[in-house]
Amino acid sequence: MNTESRVTTALAEVRNVSKWFGPVMALNGVSLEIGSGITGLVGPNGAGKTTLLRLLTGQIKPSLGGIDVCGRDAWSARAKDHIGLCPFGDATWDELSGRKLMRVTAGLRGFTGAEARRRAESVLETVGMAKRADRPVRTYSKGMRQRIKLGQALVHDPDLLVLDEPLNGVDPVGCEELNELFRTLAAQGKAVLVSSHILHEMDQLADRILFICRGKLLASGSLAEIRDMLDDHPLKVRLSCGSPRRIAPQLLTLESVKSVSIEPPSDLLLEVQNPGRFYAEFGEFAAGNDAQVQRLKATDTSTEAVFDYLMERAARPE
Amino acid sequence: MLVLLGLAVLITYLWSLPKPWHLDSRTSAELARQILLPLYMGFLLPVICLGYASAAIADERTDETLVYLLTTNIPRPLVYLSKYAAALLLTLGMALGGLAALCLVPGEIGREALGVFWTVTVCATAAYVGLFLLFSAMVRRATFLSLAYALMIETLTGNIPGFVKRITVSFYAKSWLYESGEPLGLAPKEGVALSLFDPVSAATAQWVLGLASAGFIALGMWIFSRKEYD
Repeated sequence: MNTESRVTTALAEVRNVSKWFGPVMALNGVSLEIGSGITGLVGPNGAGKTTLLRLLTGQIKPSLGGIDVCGRDAWSARAKDHIGLCPFGDATWDELSGRKLMRVTAGLRGFTGAEARRRAESVLETVGMAKRADRPVRTYSKGMRQRIKLGQALVHDPDLLVLDEPLNGVDPVGCEELNELFRTLAAQGKAVLVSSHILHEMDQLADRILFICRGKLLASGSLAEIRDMLDDHPLKVRLSCGSPRRIAPQLLTLESVKSVSIEPPSDLLLEVQNPGRFYAEFGEFAAGNDAQVQRLKATDTSTEAVFDYLMERAARPE
Repeated sequence: MLVLLGLAVLITYLWSLPKPWHLDSRTSAELARQILLPLYMGFLLPVICLGYASAAIADERTDETLVYLLTTNIPRPLVYLSKYAAALLLTLGMALGGLAALCLVPGEIGREALGVFWTVTVCATAAYVGLFLLFSAMVRRATFLSLAYALMIETLTGNIPGFVKRITVSFYAKSWLYESGEPLGLAPKEGVALSLFDPVSAATAQWVLGLASAGFIALGMWIFSRKEYD
């Protein structure tokens, strides 16, 4: 299930990639494209998320298939010009100060002297660490480490930013700041791939989501698109209105409405088969039936709900 | 490492002191035969080399910082070569510093020995660092493998009669030393000792050490550039 048409310019392309580690198949025939904007990567533990990230950043090679980043094989050194990685875990060169670490990282990326210093200062400012950059990294909190690691990923201004659980350990205010930074980077045309197990983070953050499970890509596309395609799970809609008992039977006459239940005092819970059609039908219905609609809200369009449905579908025997 | 070196210096100092059973002054040849060959070439040098070289990549793996090197735009063989250069530089500093300390502690007699030993030390260090860095690129616990090599292969095999010892770095280092240290009387002159060791010529030893270093580096670069590190 995918809606690849939304990816206009693919910065990374994964073509029918499989990856084995001995007898274990970590990825199985995965094809996807990652374009500019924020792409969320979601899946349970052991789904193959980390393997996919490692393949994309050229740390490992696919057993079958191919991966290109900006038109070059992801394993090649040239492709890595375009890739910035913020890995999972806290590890970095702890004995250095944040500032020195940024300069060293810039040096590893081929920048020297004044340019390395300029990039280090600029990226420290970007990740909000400029004032705390003279302390050794080993004294940093988990959130500060995340920021400094993000700085390491950004120092060479990559086109594809791969972030493995980037908000892990970051406080809520920091999360919002970093999310804003990701949106800014995405607005600049960069591809930001965010792996996260905190599903609700993705609701607001990701333009597209890749759902992965047992090494297979279950779905890709925007959350709304994927939700619409789950036709075996009717959309659940909560309707708050002035006279629920009066309009409940009338709603059942709409073709897209599968069931209606009343939730006192004034709510109706609808199960809707075809969301697009429902919204069109409901507009006409509400206008013609004096429904006194106060609120209409889909209750299972979150990443978490869609993920649960996809997992349920994946668990079913073929 | 510094503790080991300190201990070696202390042993050398105690050795150089006049004893009731040895009232004569110590000679360069004695220093070379009794201290530098067994203690320095046979034990300290491999340990110093493995201390730096075997940790160069393996520690980055253990600390999970290798990922930062593997995701830069530097080609992997160049990363490996840089690691070799850095490890060699550090190791040479420590190895030559240690050698100088051991030679200078007994005073004047060490100068001649230092002149003989330093070139061999540089070449043997290049080979050891190449070998231990290769281990470091191959396995996560490279220090154990290197220790096993240094203690089992270099020490035990190095003392077995016959051709087996020719797989050790120390055999070629000693062969070279026996020839270049002729004035110090390092080489076994005759009899069983000579037939048991059966050294190669200094020129052969230099070639072997040089080729081994280059071979270890090339093999390490090849492995490092292909291996998928977890």
